[in-house]
Amino acid sequence: MTAISQRRSGAFVRRNGSQFIVIGLLVLLAITGFIVSDRFATVANIMNILEQSVTLALVSLGQTLTILTGGIDLSVGSMISLASVLLSGITNGDANMVAPAIAIVLALGIFVGLLNAAAVVWLRVHPLIVTLGMGAVLQGITLLYTMGPAGKMPLGFDWLAFGRVLGLPVGAVIAVALFLLTAAFLRYARLGRYIYAIGDDAIGAKLMGLPRTKVLLFVYAFSGFMASLTAIFLVSRFGVGQPYTGANFTLTSITPVVVGGTLLAGGRGGVLGTLLGVYLVSLLNNVLNFMDISSHYQLIVQGLIVIIAVSVYVEKKRTL
Amino acid sequence: MSQAVETNLSAAASGAENARNFLRQYALHIALVVLIILSALISPSFLSGGNVSNMLLQAAPLGIVVIGQAFVILVRGLDLSVASVMATAAVAATSFNGQDTDALLIFVVAIGIGLITGLVNGLLVAKRNVSPFLATLATMIVLQGMRSAWTQGAPSGNVPPFYRILGSDSIYGVPYNLVITGVLAVFFSVLLAKTTFGRKVYITGGNPVTARLLGINADWITITCYVISGGLAALAGLILSGFVGIVDNWVGRGFEIDSIVAAVMGGVALSGGRGTIAGGLVGAAILVVVFNSVLQIGMPIQMQIIIKGLVIVIAAAFYVRRAA
Repeated sequence: MTAISQRRSGAFVRRNGSQFIVIGLLVLLAITGFIVSDRFATVANIMNILEQSVTLALVSLGQTLTILTGGIDLSVGSMISLASVLLSGITNGDANMVAPAIAIVLALGIFVGLLNAAAVVWLRVHPLIVTLGMGAVLQGITLLYTMGPAGKMPLGFDWLAFGRVLGLPVGAVIAVALFLLTAAFLRYARLGRYIYAIGDDAIGAKLMGLPRTKVLLFVYAFSGFMASLTAIFLVSRFGVGQPYTGANFTLTSITPVVVGGTLLAGGRGGVLGTLLGVYLVSLLNNVLNFMDISSHYQLIVQGLIVIIAVSVYVEKKRTL
Repeated sequence: MSQAVETNLSAAASGAENARNFLRQYALHIALVVLIILSALISPSFLSGGNVSNMLLQAAPLGIVVIGQAFVILVRGLDLSVASVMATAAVAATSFNGQDTDALLIFVVAIGIGLITGLVNGLLVAKRNVSPFLATLATMIVLQGMRSAWTQGAPSGNVPPFYRILGSDSIYGVPYNLVITGVLAVFFSVLLAKTTFGRKVYITGGNPVTARLLGINADWITITCYVISGGLAALAGLILSGFVGIVDNWVGRGFEIDSIVAAVMGGVALSGGRGTIAGGLVGAAILVVVFNSVLQIGMPIQMQIIIKGLVIVIAAAFYVRRAA
């Protein structure tokens, strides 16, 4: 009995070891923040960190699922840009158009994700290439639609980005709720288990007759949906959609995922690690700001963190 | 009689087989020729001297990057840091007093940065088993940060005349940068096809386990490929800075994608171990011709990006089918 529970707790630590490292780093950063500025531990600053982390959280949630299947979605940045300009372009200041425009961009995100998955499954091309190509196509379409900021949002739409629910930022509450739901889905739903199985051992999953096509269609559609949702929050924050607004998200959406311990090879990790990764990145940028370190150096630090993270969690197998 | 018919039949069959093999082997070259003919028919100015030399000038830096990218892809890798290395080399070119006396120093600094970046990439991939995508992504971000920290936002110096000539002038109508690309292409093709090192690259990429069993130091081969890619990207950055004349923090933006597209289109398999530099260069030529004709035909420049996206997926799908 004790032997079993000991083995269980050992497995627990091994499975979640990365999370402990990230939590340790979070604590370390928080202490640093305390030391460098007395404005760090204020309610205003904590709300600020929560608000700023929303978009990164949403897009990395979708990214985590594609990476868990051993794939990747490099089209999210362009998808965010396209959804942003469409949302504010279609709405164009008309409050009655907000709901239809949101429905359109969310549907478009799902559609693009389905196209990605279809190309991966039926053209048998690596997801990296498929989504890279899709990203270029979407960016081109975005620029055909508009070369500059498009349309505008009606007054009050910034509630999503700056509003409060129970004293907490709306977006942060939604993001955390989505992370918890997805975590439960991955752990308890059949489709969720299949995602791990396919990412861990594609051939074994095939031999067991797992529905790879269905899983990939779901995962990439989810990622496209989350990218569009990210765009909605971005537009709410800036008040307008811009054609390059999502450009940085393609790569930054991967950082929290790998920092959170999800292996690029697939099959290992989870969304809660990603959420910790998101807060690590956001807290890091916040603390660096308080330390008066310019955004140039913040880039260097972020790159180094990725290098350290991926060197610590040695991949079990090498992928692209 | 019947025997003769049979022979004829089998000859015809093998003739068809040969034709099909020929088509498969040279599909890319045929595509390039067809593209050029089509473009020339649609737009007469396509084959004008000015446009051709313009295309060649643009193709040269891409060609140099593709050579390096091909080495990395051959060992099952991917180098996303090439564009960042190019920009950093270009920034180095403007970081001195802009005179020819500094040309050699600039060369040493820029190429040094490229080689070191390649070494870091290679060490991460080979020794730490980091996925090439992430390793080169991380070095890309770090370089980007170092570059903007060094320039405090925007670089301001001048590119020395030596690199201006190298990047944009011609000798007997042939751009200098194309000559450099040609020399490098021949050198690295021979290295790949005729030397033990080249064979080891193919074996390591084809099957790393076999390579180890054969006593090949696969790690060292992999690292060398990344170092080659870093060095060539730095050189391409210097030449491109000479071509555009004005340097910002983003010289070479898009080259990481373009070089991968060109190599994949040219038959360098992402699964490693298959492909040639010549193929990659034909892929680069197709890319440049496609981009150019999009503009010549009068389509909006945004179509370039869309077509690039479609081409990369279609090309990859084509080779997947062929390999299967």
